[in-house]
Amino acid sequence: MQKKLIVSAAPYLHNHAATTQRIMLSVVIALLPTAAAAVWFFGGNALMLIVVAVVSAVAAEYIWQKLTHKPVTVSDMSAVVTGLLLAFNLPANAPWWLAAVGSFLAIILIKQLFGGLGQNFMNPALAARAILMLSWTGLMAANVLPHAGQWAAPVALDAVSVATPLTHGATGFTLWQLFYGDVPGMIGETCKITLLLGGVFLLVFRVIDWRIPVSFIATVAVAYFIKTGTLYSMESGAQNVLYQLLSGGLIIGAVFMATDYVTSPITGIGKLIMGVGCGVLLFVIREFSSYPEGCSFAILFMNVLTPLIDRFTGSKPFGFEKQENPAKEAKA
Amino acid sequence: MKKKKSMRSVFLNGIFGENPIFRMLLGMCPTLAVSTAVFQGIGMGLATTFVLVFSNLVIALLRNIIPDKVRIPAFIVVIATFVTIVDLMLKAFIPSLSQSLGIFIPLIVVNCIIFARAEAFASKNSVLLSVTDGLGMGLGFTVSITLLSACRELLGNGTLLGAQVMPETFQPMAIALRPPGGFIMLGILLLIINASSKAIVKRREAKAKEAEL
Amino acid sequence: MSSLLLIIIAGVLVNNLVMSQFLGICPFLGISKKTETAFGMGMAVTFVMVLASVITYLIRTYLLVPFSLEYMQTIAFILVIAVLVQTVEMVLKKVSRALYQALGVYLPLITTNCAVLGVAISNTTAVEGGYDLLQSAVNGLAGALGFTLALVAFAAIREKLAMNDLPKWMDGFPGALIAAGLMAVAFQGFAGLI
Repeated sequence: MQKKLIVSAAPYLHNHAATTQRIMLSVVIALLPTAAAAVWFFGGNALMLIVVAVVSAVAAEYIWQKLTHKPVTVSDMSAVVTGLLLAFNLPANAPWWLAAVGSFLAIILIKQLFGGLGQNFMNPALAARAILMLSWTGLMAANVLPHAGQWAAPVALDAVSVATPLTHGATGFTLWQLFYGDVPGMIGETCKITLLLGGVFLLVFRVIDWRIPVSFIATVAVAYFIKTGTLYSMESGAQNVLYQLLSGGLIIGAVFMATDYVTSPITGIGKLIMGVGCGVLLFVIREFSSYPEGCSFAILFMNVLTPLIDRFTGSKPFGFEKQENPAKEAKA
Repeated sequence: MKKKKSMRSVFLNGIFGENPIFRMLLGMCPTLAVSTAVFQGIGMGLATTFVLVFSNLVIALLRNIIPDKVRIPAFIVVIATFVTIVDLMLKAFIPSLSQSLGIFIPLIVVNCIIFARAEAFASKNSVLLSVTDGLGMGLGFTVSITLLSACRELLGNGTLLGAQVMPETFQPMAIALRPPGGFIMLGILLLIINASSKAIVKRREAKAKEAEL
Repeated sequence: MSSLLLIIIAGVLVNNLVMSQFLGICPFLGISKKTETAFGMGMAVTFVMVLASVITYLIRTYLLVPFSLEYMQTIAFILVIAVLVQTVEMVLKKVSRALYQALGVYLPLITTNCAVLGVAISNTTAVEGGYDLLQSAVNGLAGALGFTLALVAFAAIREKLAMNDLPKWMDGFPGALIAAGLMAVAFQGFAGLI
């Protein structure tokens, strides 16, 4: 039960290496079934991506902290979590260097430059994924058909020939396929069974709070119920709530990314705002933008608004009222 | 003798000491917006230099005539006149550049560098010095925006001035050409310049101390 | 009506002045250390931008075009904006002393805030023949709201960052620019929304 305390505020985190380690370790444990599913569905290349991403994330953190003469904190496992989540957000046919570049960006540009663990304002894995997507759109297209149980590297398929579950007009996937993960997609987002299992594990051990995932998913459900009017249907393709909930990165995003302590609001009401905001944005981007899936951008946008939400929901982290360092003020 | 020296220092001041982009952080909008290709960067730099030199010239000439109270509208009119000249000339002679710089040509009017130099320098100094200042600042701006453009074009397209530079296997990082790339690249350049100039100052101080001892 | 809605969504999110068009960067970097001041600045810009959109539209339609003086557009627009800013400054001084003091030196800078002139010019180029009066006003409002959103969110982020132990060469502008870049990444998600 003492873990309940930890969930409340980011500023506590970075002085408690041991606590951080315990939290991060439980997140890694919650992610392991999904890693296994990724390898099962997408073969050896998926395993390679996971290893490269995790190793480069840890290496980036270690090298950076050595170079800047900071205490080395790789043992807190946070870099492992970042590497895992980043790998889960890559398509199965991505080249190895994409995983390495992504991990370096996540750890150095997004996390360490802003002061390291607990101080970044964006989820490192997600922001890195977005940067990769904006840079190498073709390589980041999740258009590889899974081939359950085969070790061979997946074949890169023509972008046009394979419709992902969220391509407009796609009908080729059943709800059951979407649920157990036999669909094209980023390697870690397809298997909803293991993701939900991990989510339940984290909820039970109170590593994450229920508010963000529940309000996030509920908002998307309501939006699609208004749009389609159908809760679920075995035949009618993508136009029902359940199909949309099980498609794309919604589940992994709601359970593992939006709940990041550092980049989500502190108070309960703030968390609900975050969840609803993510849901609305996901719906808008999925339906109207040029990207088929909006989960990462929706969460990133709410990350940007998080400091503002924290202010308006009345939670002031320690020292908030204090004047800034006058020297800093004068400089700019 | 004294005069000559100060002209030189005024000129160099614009390029190093008070470099508009890297030191004063002025004119950020065009800097970030057009620095996606070296050609555009140079074009914007030279167009701005032109306006800077001539507006400094005219404002220095009129500095004793313009009443202090209406000096700001007066400066604006002078600057806007030269911007209009550049705008029309580019449209007539280099339409391709005019097209790619788009709205940022008329927006030279509100480039804070030009206004800042008019207010801080040209309205207080002689014509010759003001022109030198305009030239120095303009070149400082041009060099900096070209440097930023080179970084972005190289990373985002693998080319420099349109010529392939990076090896064939290099996969261009397209984000460098998009808005986030502009912010981040300028931030990283600034970071490097700040860190290295701090290191130089430190070394100089250490040397001075050694010399004293 | 739907075209007005599109203008608003485009102005606030898709073509956000700061995050995707690089307009108004100076105040964005300069006045984003405190959320309150950022909000005040946003409101001042909103006021000026809507008025400027309306007035520049009138000047263009009833003065410049009939007399074929379009080439004077830049000069005319910037003068109108300068006068407007002066007026806002005087009004603020009377109405809210506190806000006036907070914005202090920055208010005259709205004159050289390229966002205001940028919106006025883009009103004339956005569609063939330019926006009509209502569309111009709405575009001005949307642009300003987008500016305010970016500015206030950025200020809140910088307040948070000010408490971090950043590497010392990230202090000030390098850190602010990189943070702004990451923010711009989030805004890229709206690309193609319109």
